[in-house]
Amino acid sequence: MKLLFHKLRLPLIAGLLVVTAAFAVQAQDPKIQTGSLDHLAAKASQTVDVNVDGRLMKMAAKLLSDKDVEEKEIKELVAGIKGIYVRRFEFEADGQYSAADVESIRSQLRGPSWSRMVNVTSKKDGGLEVYLSFLGEQVNGLAVLATDDREFTVVNIVGPIDLEKLNKLEGQFGVPELGIESTKAKPKNDK
Amino acid sequence: MNEDYLWDKSGQPDPQIQELEQILAPLRYQPKSLKLPVVRRRNYWPLAIAATVLIALLVTGVWLRSRTEKPQQQQEAKFVPSVVTEETPTPVVVKNTKLRRKPFHKPRSNKRVFTKHEREEALAAKEQVLLALRLTSEKLRLAQRRTQGPPPNQIKNQHKSDKRS
Repeated sequence: MKLLFHKLRLPLIAGLLVVTAAFAVQAQDPKIQTGSLDHLAAKASQTVDVNVDGRLMKMAAKLLSDKDVEEKEIKELVAGIKGIYVRRFEFEADGQYSAADVESIRSQLRGPSWSRMVNVTSKKDGGLEVYLSFLGEQVNGLAVLATDDREFTVVNIVGPIDLEKLNKLEGQFGVPELGIESTKAKPKNDK
Repeated sequence: MNEDYLWDKSGQPDPQIQELEQILAPLRYQPKSLKLPVVRRRNYWPLAIAATVLIALLVTGVWLRSRTEKPQQQQEAKFVPSVVTEETPTPVVVKNTKLRRKPFHKPRSNKRVFTKHEREEALAAKEQVLLALRLTSEKLRLAQRRTQGPPPNQIKNQHKSDKRS
């Protein structure tokens, strides 16, 4: 047995190193798994589900014009982004999602690369958390977790992102306003 | 000639027989113990276990990759109009192409790049990207308003200054 272990020492160490490296790379990936929220779609009255991976990002970027000023700006913004994922659920009644649903997302954001930049909680407006993932000094991911009595939103951008440019997007690019704040004005006594 | 000599070496030997015996003497049977050739058996255990570890790593890698890419297969964005009546509580799925206000002008150069199917896919992806960025932007601005704090880049710097301190 001792001889066997002695002979296997090198392959075992090499294997362990490779496994550790694989898990380390996986752990640093700022992609959030949102599969645990699938069951909320059946309860939601409104759903936004966006899944754009790196390949689709490149294809979409090719369709953005360099001549159009607005599209040029957004093309610069999405350059280098490896994926955009959004899950947004709006409900007609309170309490449609559980604390476990929130925790399934929040637990992923407790990883070493993630830092919580903003955490706003209020009884009236719900919770809003903004996380950034860092690879060294570089931002390589963004996550927004917004929870309200009747709303549950997870936004995940994988790759370098310029927050200042992103912040200027509101009201541009022909995308209709989603009325995020208006949903909070709904009466809460429907239950 | 005494034939008994040929039978059991008794009696008087024939000289020719004796001469033949001397000639053939080196070839006489020499009794000695059996020695089997030593064959060194190779130990294949390290190789087999290394191969098993390698296969396990490959399977793990494939599994992790498929696990990561599985949610990305949904490429259709679902959006439901914000006005929902009580008669229709179930979610309605509307393709994002209806959400555009501005008609899309395809660049001429892209005609050569994409096939029809790829172009449709890219258009849908573009709409999803715009929708996602819009939503993200709104959330960030909302966060900024609620914190009454600095814009996001300053928030980022705040993080760095926190780390320094």
